[in-house]
Amino acid sequence: MANLVSLTSEQITLGIKNGDFSAEEYICQILYRIEKIDFKINAFITVDKKGALEKARLIDRKIRNGEQNIGPLAGVAVGIKDNICTNGLKTTCASKMLKDYVSPYDATSVKRLQESDAIVVGKLNLDEFAMGSTTEFSNNGPTHNPWNVDCVAGGSSGGSAASVAALECAISLGSDTGGSIRCPASFCSVVGLKPTYGSVSRYGLISYANSLEQIGPIGKTVSDVIMVMNAIAGKDDKDHTTLEWVPKYTLNPTKKNIRVGLVKELVEGADPAISKCIYYAMDMFSRLDFKCEETSMNSIRYSLPSYYTIAMAEASSNLARYDNIRYGFDLNPDGYEWNTYFSKVRSNFGQEVKRRIIIGSYVLSAGYYGKYYLKAQKLRSLLKKELKSLFKKYDILIAPTMPLLPFKIGDKIDDPLKMYLIDIDTVIANLSGIPAISIPAGFNNNLPIGLQIMANELQEQTLLDAALLFERATNIQRSPEL
Amino acid sequence: MVLTVNIGLEIHCQLTALQSKLFCSCYSDYRGKTPNNNVCPICSGLPGSLPLLNQRAVEHAGMVSLALGCKVPDKIMFYRKNYFYPDLPKNFQLTQYNSYGITSIGAEGKLDYDGSKKAIIRRVQLEEDPGRLVYENSDIDTNFYTLIDYNRAGVALIEIVTEPDFTDPKDVRIFLNKISSIVQHLGVCDTKLEGSVRCDANVSIGSKKKVEIKNVNSFKEVEKALAYEITRQKTMSTHDIEIKAETRHWDDLRKITKQARTKEAEQDYRYFPEPDIPTIVLGNEFLSLLKTNMPELPDERKIRFTTDYQLSEHVAQVLIDNKEVSDFFELAVNMYPSPKEIANWIVTDLLAFIDDSDQKRSIFSGLKIEAKHIADLAKLVDKNIINRSTAKMILRQIIKTGELPSQLARKTNASKIDDTGVISEAVESIFLREKSAVIDAKNNANAANFLLGKVMQLTKGRADPKIALNLITRKLTESN
Amino acid sequence: MVSKEEIRHLGQLSKLELTDQELGKYQSQIEEIITYLDVLDSLSLNEIEPTHSTKKFSELRKDCLKAFEGNALNVKYRKDGFIKGPRMA
Repeated sequence: MANLVSLTSEQITLGIKNGDFSAEEYICQILYRIEKIDFKINAFITVDKKGALEKARLIDRKIRNGEQNIGPLAGVAVGIKDNICTNGLKTTCASKMLKDYVSPYDATSVKRLQESDAIVVGKLNLDEFAMGSTTEFSNNGPTHNPWNVDCVAGGSSGGSAASVAALECAISLGSDTGGSIRCPASFCSVVGLKPTYGSVSRYGLISYANSLEQIGPIGKTVSDVIMVMNAIAGKDDKDHTTLEWVPKYTLNPTKKNIRVGLVKELVEGADPAISKCIYYAMDMFSRLDFKCEETSMNSIRYSLPSYYTIAMAEASSNLARYDNIRYGFDLNPDGYEWNTYFSKVRSNFGQEVKRRIIIGSYVLSAGYYGKYYLKAQKLRSLLKKELKSLFKKYDILIAPTMPLLPFKIGDKIDDPLKMYLIDIDTVIANLSGIPAISIPAGFNNNLPIGLQIMANELQEQTLLDAALLFERATNIQRSPEL
Repeated sequence: MVLTVNIGLEIHCQLTALQSKLFCSCYSDYRGKTPNNNVCPICSGLPGSLPLLNQRAVEHAGMVSLALGCKVPDKIMFYRKNYFYPDLPKNFQLTQYNSYGITSIGAEGKLDYDGSKKAIIRRVQLEEDPGRLVYENSDIDTNFYTLIDYNRAGVALIEIVTEPDFTDPKDVRIFLNKISSIVQHLGVCDTKLEGSVRCDANVSIGSKKKVEIKNVNSFKEVEKALAYEITRQKTMSTHDIEIKAETRHWDDLRKITKQARTKEAEQDYRYFPEPDIPTIVLGNEFLSLLKTNMPELPDERKIRFTTDYQLSEHVAQVLIDNKEVSDFFELAVNMYPSPKEIANWIVTDLLAFIDDSDQKRSIFSGLKIEAKHIADLAKLVDKNIINRSTAKMILRQIIKTGELPSQLARKTNASKIDDTGVISEAVESIFLREKSAVIDAKNNANAANFLLGKVMQLTKGRADPKIALNLITRKLTESN
Repeated sequence: MVSKEEIRHLGQLSKLELTDQELGKYQSQIEEIITYLDVLDSLSLNEIEPTHSTKKFSELRKDCLKAFEGNALNVKYRKDGFIKGPRMA
């Protein structure tokens, strides 16, 4: 069967279980596709051809033997962002500091995907240690946007979104600290979800900012995202910050009466082409019999500084462990004095990482703690309060995912602050812990625009319902010709 | 001018009764294991690992807080103390911190010691132990590399911080002994295990700068280190030499404090709450759980000893100072209910045989003695089967052989002689032998005791001394 | 105002030794970013408690032994089981 690579997860598992094609046949097409086009995109850091084929054959054997325990994601090709630990496959965080690192354990999300019989095909490119919004800060070179290879794919999960858009895998795992799943999903015209904080285990996610980040799924369609969430979400004893619950998401293509609030400040702050698209989306929702109106949020102007204060502070501490003594790269410590050795190995961090570590140390230092870090944490409480009252009036809030269209590679790389400002639409969800999804909403000059939908804590079903209805009503293209 | 001395203590106790480490399920007892064989992703600080707080550690730390009269807050938190060091797997230590609100397991407590002295406890906190650095050459500067063992990394510690109210190193020693007894009685720390208890101290005189003393490896050494440091500071002060605020290490061999080699200067630890551990809500059930499970504290035990067993204050205090000793006592009393007698044998006689220079082993190690031996001995004396001095001799023997006193008594026919006839014969014998002493005795009471001594010697200590003395006195007066 | 010296000191706290070139480049960037973060100053949030999630004592990990099945410290430079690290001065 030809062109299995454009199938959704649902179609793949059904096809394999029905005997329409084998897992091996499918995986071979995927691997071939990666070989053929990834040099243009640079989504993958590591491809595990051998492991993928072995797993595919195992699944085929299980099916041939009539075994009952075939997982719900049987045969589906999945890419894993390279800051999520995989036992046996390198996990580099796109950094020189971990370029040889192989984790001795699997992240819980990876383990759960494997238990669902998904097939891990490789590790995906990211901004170094997930710090960035364009995947340009990678030690492995930038990931190119499949829609226009001169443009950025977004970040920090650029490889995760681009690989799905380029049909190099059906689904991928990314991580979102300040928009890192939604931004590239928006830039690459695919669906990306940042789940409620605490709904997916972070065990095995290499920490950048632990109080803000979540692992989440990226796929071509909402149904892909739902299938991954049902596999990976839910309480994990290995992560004290996970919530006491079990995921049971369903596809509800007939939901009605959703109340929609459009966040005025975020639409007004965006590129006109994008604002136009978002207003059009609001029209779409009205036609679906949703109640739509504009609304306002006061805390928005403080959200970015609050986000960066907290993220950088946590990062400066999370990255302290990289001293090359227990893991890292090959450098014999013999003869070195310890301060010298530590400084020497840590000079291998990229410039963006170094900047964030320094600023992070600054905002945590004695004397500044109250001015920055404490204030930022208090702002989160304020933001949560504001959202709580908004969610009494609305079931979902909508906004653009990004305030601008995908831009040329290199455009913003020399101006860190300019780069940070593009996170304006996405950080609210991380600061407050609420779930947020980006779904394709249209194009301008063949460059993708994403619509962001946010819901209250643990109300992913509502968010997914709205997203599904929007998806069905708009039918936006998911993968470019490559 | 008399300069006031201020001493504050930072006591670290490992929670050795736990099965696992503070934040992971690795074994809590790292002693004697192959290096780096007792580790997991969490305690090695591997990327992506997350800390998982040990419930029983919180319980044990809570009991210590209550025993020290502390308030246990409704909610506790953990903080990161950020600094780099090769024995620190994450290059930060997970600990507790009260500068932004009381969130450690205990705060504002007080403990009475040495009768009516009071020590104020500033706080009790839970934290993790780092790994161990080992040097091949004892002169650290000549090593090309350092050897690191992470087996101990992540082991649960409680830190007890006192107010700097101590003024005398002797008081510090008594206080530390009490702390030791408390944690033993709570069953949370086996103080005999190597490295299970450490104490840092800070000392200042007058209102001058504080000097921190680290690296003191046993509670016994703390008194010595403090005495040395106080003298050092007083001497400097007399000579108008400035005392710098610094950290000094106690040199065990040379018995002096010396400037720390590493610059542990004012480090900015950039404390902030650990995002991977939520605020732990303890609630009222926690306090009731603690109070229900709380073992008997030394002070409570002392009261019970003086009330139920009618022991004197002094004897009771000696017993409860060491849980092993008080357990031994109660075990013996259970076998033979003569508490005063047994207590006396332990406090007056048995403890004298103890070599407590090595605190790390059982206090009775080297002696073949168990509770049953003392119970047996007390019984023999109580029932007048042997007299007290025979008993003392027997004790001296059995601690080497492990025989039961009644066995030895039977073997050597050590039973008391109270047959007047037999004793008379002995007295006659001595009077014949010690003619000059007899003459002296007629005038001098002390010489009568000399004669008694000889009678006891002759009867191998078995004669009833009262009867013997009676006979001697009568015979002396008779011949007058 | 964040001086080069402050940045160098912060670097040292984080064991990052910055070259003069890096210091020059980062100084203006970092200053700009910190000025941006200063907008938090205009907030007076004295009445608000900082955000923190909670967990009950009963939900904590039970004190059981479980050895890790795998090699947590896959380190090349060793001696007699110890891991070799740089020397202490």
